[in-house]
Amino acid sequence: MKKILVANRGEIAIRVIRAAQELGHKAVAIYETPDTEALHVRVADEAIWLGDGPRKDYLDIAKVIKAARKSGADAIHPGYGFLAENPEFAKACENAGLVFIGPTSEVITNLGNKVIAREIMAAANIPMVPGTSNLSPGDEGLQEALAFASEYGYPIMLKATAGGGGRGIRRIDNDSQMREELPMARTEAKAAFDNDNVYLEKVVINPKHVEVQIIADSFGEVVHLGTRDCSIQRRNQKLVEIAPSLIQDQSIIESICETAVKAAQASNYTNAGTVEFLVDKDMKYYFMEINTRIQVEHTVTEMVTGIDIVRTQIKLAFGKKLLFKQEEVKIRGHAIEMRINAEDPKNNFMPEGGKTVDIYRSPGGYGVRLDGFVYQGYTIPEVYDSLLVKLTVHGYSWNETVDRLRRCLKNFVIIGPKTTIPFYLELVDDPDFQKGDFDTSYLEMHAHLLDYEEQNTEINKLAKLIAEIHYNEENTYAV
Amino acid sequence: MKRIVHGMHYKEALQILRQADGYYLTNTARDLSQSDFKNRILLHTDLLAAESRENANYFSLEITGGASVHVDILRKQVDPFLKLELLREKMPNTMFQTLCRGVNLFGYRPYPQNVIRFAVREFAKYVDVWRVFDFMNHVPNMQAVFEEVQLAEKILEPSICFSTGPEHSDEFYVGKVQEILAVTGEDIILCIKNHGGLGTPKRIGELVAAIKHKYPELVIHYHGHNTDGNDIGRITAAVLNGATIVDASDHAFTGYYGPPPLLSVIHTLKDYGKEAIDLNEDAVIESSEVLRNERDHYEYFESQFKGFSPTVQIHKLPGGAMGSSFEQAVKGRFLDKMPTILHDELPKVQIELGNWWSVTPGSQILWTTAVTNVLEKDRYGNPSGDLKNLLLGKYGPFPFYRPADWIYEKVFGTGWQNLLADEGGVEDIEDMDIDKERQVLADRLGHKPTEQQLVTYLQHPNDAVNFFKFEEEFGKVYVLPPSIFLRRGGYKLGESLMFKDHDGKEHVIEIGPKQKNEKSEWSIYLNVDHQERNYTFKEEAKEGAAAAGPQLSKKEIEDLAKAGDMRATYSCNVCEIVAKEDEEVAVGDKLAVVEAMKMQTPVVSQVAGTVVEIQAKVGDALKVGDKILKIITEVE
Repeated sequence: MKKILVANRGEIAIRVIRAAQELGHKAVAIYETPDTEALHVRVADEAIWLGDGPRKDYLDIAKVIKAARKSGADAIHPGYGFLAENPEFAKACENAGLVFIGPTSEVITNLGNKVIAREIMAAANIPMVPGTSNLSPGDEGLQEALAFASEYGYPIMLKATAGGGGRGIRRIDNDSQMREELPMARTEAKAAFDNDNVYLEKVVINPKHVEVQIIADSFGEVVHLGTRDCSIQRRNQKLVEIAPSLIQDQSIIESICETAVKAAQASNYTNAGTVEFLVDKDMKYYFMEINTRIQVEHTVTEMVTGIDIVRTQIKLAFGKKLLFKQEEVKIRGHAIEMRINAEDPKNNFMPEGGKTVDIYRSPGGYGVRLDGFVYQGYTIPEVYDSLLVKLTVHGYSWNETVDRLRRCLKNFVIIGPKTTIPFYLELVDDPDFQKGDFDTSYLEMHAHLLDYEEQNTEINKLAKLIAEIHYNEENTYAV
Repeated sequence: MKRIVHGMHYKEALQILRQADGYYLTNTARDLSQSDFKNRILLHTDLLAAESRENANYFSLEITGGASVHVDILRKQVDPFLKLELLREKMPNTMFQTLCRGVNLFGYRPYPQNVIRFAVREFAKYVDVWRVFDFMNHVPNMQAVFEEVQLAEKILEPSICFSTGPEHSDEFYVGKVQEILAVTGEDIILCIKNHGGLGTPKRIGELVAAIKHKYPELVIHYHGHNTDGNDIGRITAAVLNGATIVDASDHAFTGYYGPPPLLSVIHTLKDYGKEAIDLNEDAVIESSEVLRNERDHYEYFESQFKGFSPTVQIHKLPGGAMGSSFEQAVKGRFLDKMPTILHDELPKVQIELGNWWSVTPGSQILWTTAVTNVLEKDRYGNPSGDLKNLLLGKYGPFPFYRPADWIYEKVFGTGWQNLLADEGGVEDIEDMDIDKERQVLADRLGHKPTEQQLVTYLQHPNDAVNFFKFEEEFGKVYVLPPSIFLRRGGYKLGESLMFKDHDGKEHVIEIGPKQKNEKSEWSIYLNVDHQERNYTFKEEAKEGAAAAGPQLSKKEIEDLAKAGDMRATYSCNVCEIVAKEDEEVAVGDKLAVVEAMKMQTPVVSQVAGTVVEIQAKVGDALKVGDKILKIITEVE
């Protein structure tokens, strides 16, 4: 039996704790003061307080390592976000003799640097969107940028080398914009990532975002678990994720998956990771990046493959061999995951921080999976993210899966904060979504989905009046 | 003979009425609700009785109009149009009847012509029989409604309001009938509106006979109240002398001030050889069997005083105002003064002001004046705005005589003659810009209103907006029975409340515990359709009233007014703020208009100066001493 410290909070902390406990290990949670009553603290075998936070203690490598030492943990699972893709953290674990459940710090360093990553991929003949290496500083860099633009044409993406997760990216449409925004992008990148390196990439117009889950042991075995489509995004943040990709041509899918395996091998990848691609209208695909962590949307892959990715991560990190071969991985049916957030979609997805979940009822039944952090009485934190629960549904056919998704969304009862559910209910009824016809321009082109009426059922309204009559001991609207 | 039903052409219906051998009954459920239950009988209850009332084959069901349109939105939280729609679904044949206050429509003061016509057009889509009256019996005040009802081809029922006294002769009333017929033509029903239940059976019999003598073909509908317990006598006399339709209601709900029981009327007249045409007695009994179980839930709204009031012949309060008068007396703590008010002051005021008809809005003027006269011990010293308007003839000419000069002098001061000459006479009310009002309402609601919503809004703007917002928040609450909607003292722990919603879906709400937490918040737990719900309420600071300090005395409020600090002198609602900030005002300028007990009164400046701050806004409910606005007097 081992002890695993989960260096995260939220639903992913619970996800890892569950896997650890199922394996017979002990799970150690860490928390900041605002998370004192959080669910991950309750379900862990032990919990260690880091500090008042917010966020800064979860990001404090020294404190997390100290907590691991204090609890006698053998390993650390970083989850996603916070320190998950910080190579310093993986390095610190390695130095402290703790097993870091993920790739090595060297891999994280290489793949976290967009430019190095592109060099590795180029060497392995992985198809990539035309782009530059880090632009030279000052005017020289601007001249390089303008030359690139005249060769490949606009639009062009200007990206921060140290950015990620949709941050530090801007679209440039002409020379004058390039002149204006290049220095701004540098200043911003410096402030946000403490690194002012930027580079350019040709824009692929309205691509699909297709990614491949890969998993690799330390003995050279790399297996992929098929594709996911995460095209439905809002400002580069994923909202809906499905597995597998709905691209009909299986030879393309196979080719993408093989390329992903090749990319993982080229980077000496170990443990679980995700290789992201853009696929254009002509089904040409381009390598984007490798995410060196467990993804939010890993659940859809688990549903269609039956493989517990987090469990596998832990086993591989402790030096086990992969127990399955590529040909044993079978994709069965379809899965869709939606992030039920405490946000008001009509108000620019503004988080509903500070509101309390008075009532929480979740759906159940066949093909339904919930990865939640919410409970009745939960107060939406103002200092962390607003994810309440991830709903993942699995079905035999795409249509069946969509029907199940709609049913589940309707079965939720969440009273207190506004949530993304009413918006998702519009989305599942959209004919393009039902046809599986979506790319990264989907939300832009379907802005009307946000025009839904705030739903309040007749019985909820009446019940509110009855509560008032009961409280006031008379109907103040009738006397 | 063919049955008179909804949808029949009004000329055909009138032809059947003229040839009737026997009489017809109108079930005045609305007037019963208004007179004996402060207008609170819910649509839910009327829907329960709908089937048997439909089967009873009444001439009509009086189910809307009077104050009910206002109370529908104000206290019952039901849309007055939806109410008629839902009743029509269950009652396809019965004609619906309304009571319309002429130029005052379903409100308490005159509306512009275009608003009246718009409202009548919208309601005429649901209402078959239009009883129309004016408290001064001033026919021009009813003309717009007459015309619109006739344009809509509905049955028009102009009323002569009835009262007693030397001026109230047959000759006078026959003359009024002539005046009405000259305007409407002969295809009408004439209503004798005996809203106080005044006079003896003999007197009513004579009056009906006198009208029938002059107009043998005229169909007469007698309407009375049972305040003195003798309306069946008057009804009997009316029918025996030629009235074709009479009013009564379901015995399970009859009280003291409204209509008498239908069955008693039927039995009495049967013995005189008069049959209630088409009437199904079993269905009349069945309605009361259905309704009987509901009456307990309305107990709170029944009169504080039980028993008939034969002294109505002295004070003449209309049946519809009896309950609310006693309620005001209890709330205003002047119950001990009621004998003086009712039996001495009110009759005196009545004679002094012209012995016209004590019915809305005139009855409120008489009542308020009498109460103020007694409580302030200064007769006519605190005139309401509506009394002033009455004296200036704004509601119409005095039918018999003008009040004495001393009353004018007391109310208006020595310059009253000039004032009367300058401002006297019926007020011409300018048409409203209805499109503009539609936009104002749309802005207040945040969406485009329906035409029906606009009609409701034009009559009672603030109450209508409050109702529409209530409905958005709480839904269609007519589905709740009185046992739920009117419950007092809270529900019992574990009690199950069952009802169907507007869409017909069945629901169960179980009452859970009520708990207070350390933050003084109350949690109410309900189990709604098997799902637990929690509702949190913040306890209102009880010390608020104490912190506000002792209530200002009348003298203090008057002194503050003389310093430019205008306060509410009594509990009232703000109807209008006339003054604007930074505006200069003179002594006597109208600053605002407030309303209490259905009476509007202007707030008049006591000082010359500049308005510096407006503290109240339209729609505010003010308590005694609450701030309205502040004027800084000019420093010389």
